[in-house]
Amino acid sequence: MQEKNISANNFEQCQKCSLCETVCPVMANNPEYGGPKRSGPDGERYRLKNGIFYDDSLKYCLNCKRCEVACPSGVRIADLIQQARIDFNRRPPKLRDMMLASTDQMGPVASAFAPIVNFSLGLAPVKGLLDVTIGLDHRRTLPKYSSETFVRWFNKHAAASQDSFRKHVSYYHGCYANYNYPQLAKDFVAVMNAFGYGVHLIERERCCGVAKIANGMIEAATRDAKINMAAFRKSISAGRDIITVSTTCTMTLLEEYPELLKVDNGDVKAHINLVEQFLYKAIASGEVKPVWKEGWKARAAYHCPCHQERLGLGIFTTELLKMIPGMELIELESNCCGIAGTYGFKKENFKVSQMIGRPLFDEIAAVAPEFVACECETCKWQIEMSTGVAVKNPVSILADALDLQKTSELNSL
Amino acid sequence: MPINNEFDVIIVGGGITGAGTARDCAMRGLKVLLIERHDIATGATGRNHGLLHSGARYALKDSESAEECIRENKILRSIASNCIEDTGGLFITLPEDADSGFGLDYQTKFIDACIKAGIDAQAISPEEAREKEPSVNPSLIGAVVVPDGSVDPFRLCAANVTDAAMHGAKILVYTEFLDFIREGDTILGVKVLDTRTGLKAEYRAPVTVNAAGIWGHGVAAKAGIHIGMYPAKGALLVFGHRVNNVVINRCRKSADGDILVPGDSVTVIGTTSTKVPFEECDNMEVTPEEVSLLLREGCALCPSLASTRILRAYAGVRPLVADDSDPSGRSISRGIVCLDHETRDGVKGFVSITGGKLMTYRLMAELATDAVCRKLGENKLCETAETPLPGSVDGRIETVSKRFEGKVSLGQKSAAGRQGDLVGKLRFDSEADRQLVCECENVTLAEIKYAVAELGVTSLMDLRRRTRVGMGTCQGTLCIRKAAKALAAALGDPSLEGKLAADYLDERWKGMRAVGWGDTLREMEFMQRVYKYEKPYSYDEI
Amino acid sequence: MKFDVVIIGGGLAGMTAATELQSSGLRCAVVAEGLSLHNASRSGFKAAGGTLLQGDRVISGRIENGRLTGVFTEKLGDTVLEADNFILASGKYFSRGLVADMDKVYEPLFGLDVQYEPDRSKWFDRSFAADQPFLDFGVKTEGLLALKDGVPVANLYPVGEVLAGISSASGDATVQIRNSALAAVKAIRRN
Repeated sequence: MQEKNISANNFEQCQKCSLCETVCPVMANNPEYGGPKRSGPDGERYRLKNGIFYDDSLKYCLNCKRCEVACPSGVRIADLIQQARIDFNRRPPKLRDMMLASTDQMGPVASAFAPIVNFSLGLAPVKGLLDVTIGLDHRRTLPKYSSETFVRWFNKHAAASQDSFRKHVSYYHGCYANYNYPQLAKDFVAVMNAFGYGVHLIERERCCGVAKIANGMIEAATRDAKINMAAFRKSISAGRDIITVSTTCTMTLLEEYPELLKVDNGDVKAHINLVEQFLYKAIASGEVKPVWKEGWKARAAYHCPCHQERLGLGIFTTELLKMIPGMELIELESNCCGIAGTYGFKKENFKVSQMIGRPLFDEIAAVAPEFVACECETCKWQIEMSTGVAVKNPVSILADALDLQKTSELNSL
Repeated sequence: MPINNEFDVIIVGGGITGAGTARDCAMRGLKVLLIERHDIATGATGRNHGLLHSGARYALKDSESAEECIRENKILRSIASNCIEDTGGLFITLPEDADSGFGLDYQTKFIDACIKAGIDAQAISPEEAREKEPSVNPSLIGAVVVPDGSVDPFRLCAANVTDAAMHGAKILVYTEFLDFIREGDTILGVKVLDTRTGLKAEYRAPVTVNAAGIWGHGVAAKAGIHIGMYPAKGALLVFGHRVNNVVINRCRKSADGDILVPGDSVTVIGTTSTKVPFEECDNMEVTPEEVSLLLREGCALCPSLASTRILRAYAGVRPLVADDSDPSGRSISRGIVCLDHETRDGVKGFVSITGGKLMTYRLMAELATDAVCRKLGENKLCETAETPLPGSVDGRIETVSKRFEGKVSLGQKSAAGRQGDLVGKLRFDSEADRQLVCECENVTLAEIKYAVAELGVTSLMDLRRRTRVGMGTCQGTLCIRKAAKALAAALGDPSLEGKLAADYLDERWKGMRAVGWGDTLREMEFMQRVYKYEKPYSYDEI
Repeated sequence: MKFDVVIIGGGLAGMTAATELQSSGLRCAVVAEGLSLHNASRSGFKAAGGTLLQGDRVISGRIENGRLTGVFTEKLGDTVLEADNFILASGKYFSRGLVADMDKVYEPLFGLDVQYEPDRSKWFDRSFAADQPFLDFGVKTEGLLALKDGVPVANLYPVGEVLAGISSASGDATVQIRNSALAAVKAIRRN
């Protein structure tokens, strides 16, 4: 009887301290949004009484999870809000939201026509048209699509040699690395190979589903989640752990699958590793040995993406980057860049998105680093567009700072 | 004696019975005075489950009570729609009930008795029960669906008082009954004390009705009359959210802690039953033993209660009448007791109405008013069963919410749920009016202003009974300061703020103390911090 | 991951100790679940090179031969935070440095000895405004060290409100909290 004295109903652990409200980037910039406490735990009590108490303003939540990081009671505030959106928002998603959300369906189409798509997405009249017709903000620099996807490149140039390594991992590349920025995935393969790991693709990899969840396409997201989980299990039983590079994909695979999509991942969780976590542990334990380039130097600022804060694994990134001898790393204050995946692409959110990012942009300008180190692809778009400073993924920084040839020789012994 | 101190009838007690009687008398054209020593609904009226019985609970042992219940159940659904939630109810049979003689044979007898009393009771399978109410103990072996519901007693009482006043009744709260004005064997009126000013006064009427609940024992004693009352304390626990959406009862002989009622944003388990001395009725404390017992029994109905936050504990005293030795005392059932003291005790101009239940208040009021009318030679008919209460003409949230222009806010929807169709009286003139004062229960400044202007609010306890301010998860930690400031301003005396807040903090503290562990203890520490030391949040401006 | 000092809790007590220790050249990590009202001090600590695990929380520890050798957190999985010394600045009930059941009060991370009144009806005063006995409960110490089963844990220093007799909910306890943190800092520096 009440031996579990902390309520099993997670939202009841809320003490109404309101700390979440002080970190909510949307509440500070959009008066129509009631904030995390009211939309989450407060709202939940009334929604349990009657669905009429579902408030439309929950759509403004950008699911950055900063409220959850701030909460001293461990309340899954953002999950409550996402769940309520799933349960009560019965309006079908708009065409634009479906286009933004279906990253893995739009990807193949766009990649095939990349030169045309990139050309036309950059053209002012076309952007104006998107603005009017589907509500993508015309001021937004849209992500470019690559003409050759990572998967095509991998199959053509890298797949054949992977079995020759002693150790093996499976690589969940995510949509971004595949369609928009294959260089990141290529850097990943180079670094992992240098450390003596063969890299393998996930069978029938699907989008993690974060954008579909955010845009109300739950059935499609659940279908993809199940396909991914089956592939992960197959990989694990073959002795290959899953390595991820995107923090948002990782958070979705680890947290949103069981919480929001009700797809169980209990048996798989411990085998999903963010690349920085994996490499830090391998280097710290002596499992692998890095050889750094002579004279490599950089002055970088680290921006911890919101979803990395929620995962709580940023310490692996910073400790890993600090291992590079020539690295001067400045940790930026904890702030949201404002993009939150597809959120900032929507016309109605553009202004708020920029206002949210302002403190971060200002700090980057003041620090004036050579580049910003950051694990997140959408933060990269937002920061590069808004500050003009280049953003590099830690994996790409490693690929640059490591003497890949010597590292490879040392680790193949 | 000034002329305005003369009435047709004086009613002592501002609980639901007194309020209902005042309304009925006023609707029949009588000049009514109601006196209440605290606020309305402060006694047993506000300290029960808030269960709209179907009557099923009484079907086997007291068919008369059962029939009363189902009749009044139907009436309240039509006249008090904004105070009622049509949750439906389940009577469940657990494996251990079968072992103690309350198995499925008993269930069959139970259903027969219900149907005989006019209660629509239907057996469903355990699977159907689990689907209908997922929180129910999954090991149940049988279930019966009955037309139970939940009722907000504060709202119901306030609506009766409001309607009485609209029909010309004079309502005096914080006015304590001291003694009768008596001439020989005739009661001519009452002597009272205004507990806020300390001033005494006298009011006269040819008939006085004793509707003072358990305190009616003492009122009758002032007339030299003995009513054999039996003060039965009942303790209850409030859980932090709606665990269930259907009332859950045990299908067995009535016992402690066997009813779980969802009401508004919470769930309530109760009750215990212990005889207490009359002198304790004014200050009920819930003991650790009562808390343990309620939790144990509650978990049998709904296992998830074991890990659900408990917001507070409270207790009321049922005004049971032990025995009425006078056969001429007009008692239509063992539940309701209506006594004409002229025929019973030879005291003229005095009627007592007691016993009964929250949800049979209207019938009790009708009986009392009939008795009053007989004495006054009036013969107007009772219309309370057909006439909706204020707020309930069309009290559904869905339709009432549409009265607001533009986007309807959470505060407006919640107010619509509470005030029914009277919500149109709320004035959202400024941004401040739209601001939430109580964020757990979505109470806006506009609703507070309305309660002060129209519902006779003078303290934060009064305010909570009409608006639910401070009744949510944080028990006022976040809103008491804001609410005290708003109330003091609305009352026209900003200097009252500190006193209003301090009184309410003590009242909230009392309910939390009994269940002070786990998350509730965390809240209590936070509450102490907020009000004793830190002022970390902008409580200043609303 | 190895540090000189791991500080459990990022409130006033924890950040006071962490900032002092970090600026005296010791490598510190602070595990801070949730924000606190003393957030500004967290930026200063980070700027001084300290490691802040924001939004994570310690869930258990390894006590071997009377010493705490490492703690596990919710987010880091099998990665242990090791240190020569540990500071327990986990606060009282609100921050879950202490947990109250129906019939007991305990320290949830290491099962340290706690001073409290077993009879729950004596935890509270009837008047909200009066001093509340439950706010005086807290972990027991000998010297500056935490006690477990009556024996001191050689490198675990409880500071701030997790201690018996210190509570900022019953009045301004800033000075007491700071002093308890500084006393632990002094002892750790001496070692």
